[in-house]
Amino acid sequence: MNRYDAIIIGAGAGGGVVAGVLAEAGKRVLLLERGPALDASSVKRDHLRNQRFERYGNNAGPEPAANPRVLVTPEGEERVLYPTQEGYHNNAAVVGGGTLVYGAQAWRFLPDDFRMASVYGVPPGSALADWPIGYDELAPFYQRAEWEIGVAGDSVASAGIWPREIGFPMAPLPPGRKGERLREAAAALGWETLAVPLLINTEPYGGRPACTRCQHCVGFVCPNDAKNGTHNTLIRRALATGRCELFTGAMVERIETDAAGHVTGVSYFDGEAQRCSAQADVVICAAGAIETARLLLNSAGPRHPHGLGNQHDQVGRYLQGHYYPAAIGLMPEIVYDGLGPGVSTATVRFNHGNPGVIGGGMLADEFIELPISFWTRDLPPDLPRWGMANKRFMRENYRRVIRVTGPVQEIPSPDARVTLDPKVRDRWGIPVARLSGTTHPETLRTAAFMQERAAEWLRAAGATRVWSRELSLQLSAGQHQAGTCRMGEDPRTSVVDPWGRVHGHDNLFIADGSVHVTNGGFNPVLTIMALAFRTAEQIVRAW
Amino acid sequence: MFDLFTPQQLATLRALANRIIPADEFPGGWEGGAEGYLRRQFAGDLRQLVETYRAGLDGLDAEARATGSPFAAMAPVEQDQLLVRVEQGAVATQWAVDPAAFFRMAVTHVAEGYYSDPGNGGNRDGAAWRMIGFEVRG
Repeated sequence: MNRYDAIIIGAGAGGGVVAGVLAEAGKRVLLLERGPALDASSVKRDHLRNQRFERYGNNAGPEPAANPRVLVTPEGEERVLYPTQEGYHNNAAVVGGGTLVYGAQAWRFLPDDFRMASVYGVPPGSALADWPIGYDELAPFYQRAEWEIGVAGDSVASAGIWPREIGFPMAPLPPGRKGERLREAAAALGWETLAVPLLINTEPYGGRPACTRCQHCVGFVCPNDAKNGTHNTLIRRALATGRCELFTGAMVERIETDAAGHVTGVSYFDGEAQRCSAQADVVICAAGAIETARLLLNSAGPRHPHGLGNQHDQVGRYLQGHYYPAAIGLMPEIVYDGLGPGVSTATVRFNHGNPGVIGGGMLADEFIELPISFWTRDLPPDLPRWGMANKRFMRENYRRVIRVTGPVQEIPSPDARVTLDPKVRDRWGIPVARLSGTTHPETLRTAAFMQERAAEWLRAAGATRVWSRELSLQLSAGQHQAGTCRMGEDPRTSVVDPWGRVHGHDNLFIADGSVHVTNGGFNPVLTIMALAFRTAEQIVRAW
Repeated sequence: MFDLFTPQQLATLRALANRIIPADEFPGGWEGGAEGYLRRQFAGDLRQLVETYRAGLDGLDAEARATGSPFAAMAPVEQDQLLVRVEQGAVATQWAVDPAAFFRMAVTHVAEGYYSDPGNGGNRDGAAWRMIGFEVRG
């Protein structure tokens, strides 16, 4: 009754893809998700409680009171934090995971992103390493993700940057006023740009309609199901086979192993907090880089006293996300056009080959910024926070600014890590994740370089003033969390093999950002999806 | 909220909100959103800050009275001068809370009430969004 072919822990970008592939291959699948299934009718457009701006709550989980973590600050202070608090490094806990509410940028990593150590050398104190697979190995699976989940992009411009066999299934949206200014400025600077590829329907696709260009895209559930995630593609396909059971509100406590170390199944708490167990031939962990590492560590037993896959103290290390340097430019004319999602134009000119720094990142314009978010983070640092000057600035300039930002490829540090907190437990009595360390200082130098490029772009676009916030050394993980169970041939320096299988456990796989050796200078979701397709195909092939 | 505060505290809060976001052709902070927003939030997410608000509002009013009149009765220009001192923590009277931290907190909450969505009880009639040019379509 509780026996399945495969159990997948986490119904996000990675787990959702694996569920679809395995169920369509004839496997009986149990998909466990700790959050609920939500849709646009159950998620309000609350500007203070959404995945983008979590001032008093979130709209995609996890439930704040039930899910504490401990953060150790760079100064050594321990803080018990809850999901909406800064430093918690939250990601969505809901069917579809972050793909339900994301901005849906659909970037492939570049070939050099898979060989950072070979290209740049290994900075002292860092754990910079090459992936055991290259871009060419992943390219067919990027293509599958683009077509089966649905990406709109500029096929011609993209083909000039990434080796690719065919284009995108949909054309991109037009750039809008901000994008036009930035494209003109880039041309004047001699920089190439391209339309930001998005997992958003620009025409009816996959049986769902096109984007209506509303103002509540990133951080919210799409009102007409035009934003493509796993919740409305691969998970729907999995459920349509009749072979996939999806349990929501299911919090996994342990991955169970037998006396030989073979994984037998999982124990979890159901929506009524009853302890349950389920058995399977294969278990795939896809809970996100922090929760996956936590679960492996919490699954310790007599044969694995330090947790699964952790015989060399690798699980939980190299936690990384993305630094987001940003510059904001004040334009002489109104550039706001109110057409969502708002992000339209990028340059990948500075992802590699920058003098004096390691790597780099993509830069692009910004999603439509909701007014309270704009007030909170985008005003010039010397503007009074109150009074008539503040109000005038909001009134005159909300529609005159362009924000340029982008994810900087991090230089991983072994000290940025997830361990188990010895004291704090969650609602189910399970030890919680303890986050500590910071990124490597080289990340900060690259981020400062990228912040300068963002400012340069805005000045070329005619900005009369440009401002930025100072960057400081800290832990970064957040919605782009990655790296805690990295992929490699050598069990002494990695957690999973090049297929995503945990070293030392023939039937335990990981299919989320945990396996990324480095996290690219791009939003990582398409890479998570592509790797999940590849891992799932391998599981089927080797069954 | 309004049984949570004395009439004097409420008058101080209203005057404070209307200096944080002063009225012009568009409403001030209190009428434009803080009133409805805080009414809801003091029974919700900000419940645990009611005591801090009471102490901060009392401190602000006592600071004003030390110069001659209640905060709510001062001229706007005098209110602003006093708030600049409070913002810098340069107060002349004993406060039960950190004056600068109280003021920063109040600024944030008034802005939340003014600029966030009307579904949170503030941003009355969407006036703040009309003012800045943010429209909800689709």
